[in-house]
Amino acid sequence: MVTTFVFVVAAAVLLVAALIAVLKNNLVHAAMGLVVSLFGTAVLFVLLEAYFLAVAQVVIYVGAIAILIVFSIMLTRRVGAQWGNQTNPTWPFALLAAGVLTVLFALMVRGWNPDQALPAAEAVPGDVTARLGAALVNPGGYVVPFEVASVLLLAALIGAVYVAWGGRKAEKSTQR
Amino acid sequence: MVPTSFYIFLAALLFTIGAVAVLFRRNTLVIYMAVELMLNAANLAFVAFARQFEALDGQLFVFFVMTVAAAEVAVGLALIVTIFRTKHSVDIDAMHELKG
Amino acid sequence: MSALNTAMLLALLPELLVLALMGVVLVADLAGWVQGRKLGWLTVVGLAVVLAVSLSVAMPNAAGAAVWGNTLRHDALSFVFRMLFLLAAGLTIFFSMDLPGLGDRGAFYLLLLASVLGMMLMAMANDLIMLFLAMETATIPLYVLAGFFTGRRDSVEAGFKYLLFGALASGVMLYGLSLLYGFSGGAVEFEAVARGLSETAAPRWAVLAALMVVLAGFAFKVAAVPFHFWAPDVYQGAPTPIAAFLSTASKAAGFALLVRVALVAFPGGTMPWWGAALAAMAAATMTLGNLLALTQTDLKRLLAYSSIGHAGYILMGVVAATKLGLTAVVFYLLVYLLTNLAAFGVVTVLERNTGSPAVAHLAGLYKRSPWLTLATLAAFLSLAGVPPFAGFVAKVWVFMAAVEAKLEWLAVVAVLNSIVGIYYYLVVLKVAYEYDPPADAQPLQVSRPVVWALAALAVFVVVAGVAFGPWFGWGQWAAMALFP
Repeated sequence: MVTTFVFVVAAAVLLVAALIAVLKNNLVHAAMGLVVSLFGTAVLFVLLEAYFLAVAQVVIYVGAIAILIVFSIMLTRRVGAQWGNQTNPTWPFALLAAGVLTVLFALMVRGWNPDQALPAAEAVPGDVTARLGAALVNPGGYVVPFEVASVLLLAALIGAVYVAWGGRKAEKSTQR
Repeated sequence: MVPTSFYIFLAALLFTIGAVAVLFRRNTLVIYMAVELMLNAANLAFVAFARQFEALDGQLFVFFVMTVAAAEVAVGLALIVTIFRTKHSVDIDAMHELKG
Repeated sequence: MSALNTAMLLALLPELLVLALMGVVLVADLAGWVQGRKLGWLTVVGLAVVLAVSLSVAMPNAAGAAVWGNTLRHDALSFVFRMLFLLAAGLTIFFSMDLPGLGDRGAFYLLLLASVLGMMLMAMANDLIMLFLAMETATIPLYVLAGFFTGRRDSVEAGFKYLLFGALASGVMLYGLSLLYGFSGGAVEFEAVARGLSETAAPRWAVLAALMVVLAGFAFKVAAVPFHFWAPDVYQGAPTPIAAFLSTASKAAGFALLVRVALVAFPGGTMPWWGAALAAMAAATMTLGNLLALTQTDLKRLLAYSSIGHAGYILMGVVAATKLGLTAVVFYLLVYLLTNLAAFGVVTVLERNTGSPAVAHLAGLYKRSPWLTLATLAAFLSLAGVPPFAGFVAKVWVFMAAVEAKLEWLAVVAVLNSIVGIYYYLVVLKVAYEYDPPADAQPLQVSRPVVWALAALAVFVVVAGVAFGPWFGWGQWAAMALFP
């Protein structure tokens, strides 16, 4: 009963915040909507007993990704200028597309109830977080993806530093 | 316990919001945020399925998606800021340097 | 927890060596031991060592085995592609070494190596997690590389456009993967996904829709219709060697993963209409790519549309889903990769000398630089599929694969497209041979590494067209991984 209540509240907040994130013309408000929506997902992760992911969601998404987005909103704001109206005149089509997609998804969930779907493999008992950690360092598990993810992060770091820093250098040299 | 189908439908709604926003908004930062919403929708579906099937892979998938999202955002925002420096706009209509 | 063993390490040896090379380049660059274009030589030599060591000790047997907890497959198919990516990266470095702002930056080599690592893992991926992660590892460094000239508007815009469409494609694809994960009952391994999807209670149309969404991600990666529109813009704005890398290695990596997914994870038998959708995509891709190429006046855009057309021909082999089809796909990609690299090498030289890659700047190339014109001739005639060049043999094999799989209509569409293709490639050659050069024309300056790379590629294009046996043998060996 409590979980149902929490689910309904979190889901409602999540959807409203997501709508704010994509509809608001003030980008700072939109970014706040995104943060709330990401946080709502973290709450749902707790309900789904994915505790590690809930923490990771808050730390990575809310803590790092959303903050980066807010930073770039600040950095790309023209001084003294408003963002103005950024909605397409085609919004009725947007509404139509959203409606069609929603109906399709509703039909899908009606035609196939995931609650009765059977797992492909047998469940393994044990504490989920401990098993997650073990799988990430197990050569018979997911150690390769784990290491690849670290290479990807290193490459992204090099790339971002190059673009942000090397770019400034290149600009200076062309100004001279 | 809340049924899995509720989560799946919620994820679908979230994906719809993101996908439609990508198609109909002009500001690239908003488009970027909408893409994050789409990734988030997929993550929610993965975790819900992982609970339904009592399988770990769904949760692991989400862990890797978070890493990828972080990398993508770091690179993406660096490029957005650079493009703003040269064009003084981040609207998609301002991207007209390249055409045949 | 299972223990490490030598077989596992050997299976991953090429990737581990590339990773070590990344470390060497990073340290050498940061410590200032090696600077400027010498970093390029360091990387090329490193890649050659990786290639040689892998070929001598890490060769799998054709059927191969799933390694590292079934996340990767070390078999003939993945091995051939991995060697191909190493080769493509080396050639790309030859073209970029002497470009200021690209070949003298350590970041360029590091990002290129990271991307190659991702591509190699794409060729090996055996589950949905590795599929997504490897694809992103290959693509994210390429966003930066496409926008590498941060002081130039067109380059930054190219990088940004690629990023925007790439992020969108990966978001959509990931959602499709999450649905497939649910439909198949929580399976991530390709074979388990195929089993799960054949037994699923979900409605057929929903599964098909999820498959289409995942296919969209692949279509973006290989630049196939309807997700091709980024390619001309990105190729035009990106540094030319990067455009070469995007249109060859990146496309080949997309196909390396697509064939495995299409033949193992979502085979046509479990899902009717999936094959028909792929066939429609192949026909649309080749037709649109070739027709739009007709009106281009910029060589990079022309090659972009031509590479879209080629993606259509290669898709034919994927649609066929037979042993011959897979052999043809591997052989076509091998030939296409090396030929298109040669074509882009010529564009690099042209752009370096005349400042822009317009077709008009080729005027009188024959009188200015006869040897360069000869390389252009070989590359473009091979792309057009004219005998006796390698491109002709490759085309014949994919057409035969389509006919053998009872897809005669697709083969007819492809033949008509090839005729259109011959026209626009010949127009380029006509400008180079028939038109008069500008009055003040000098021979084009070509740097040493580019001369060697172009000469080797041109010789390959001719040799592989006449004596295609050994190269085709590689394709047959690779196909044995999925069709024993």
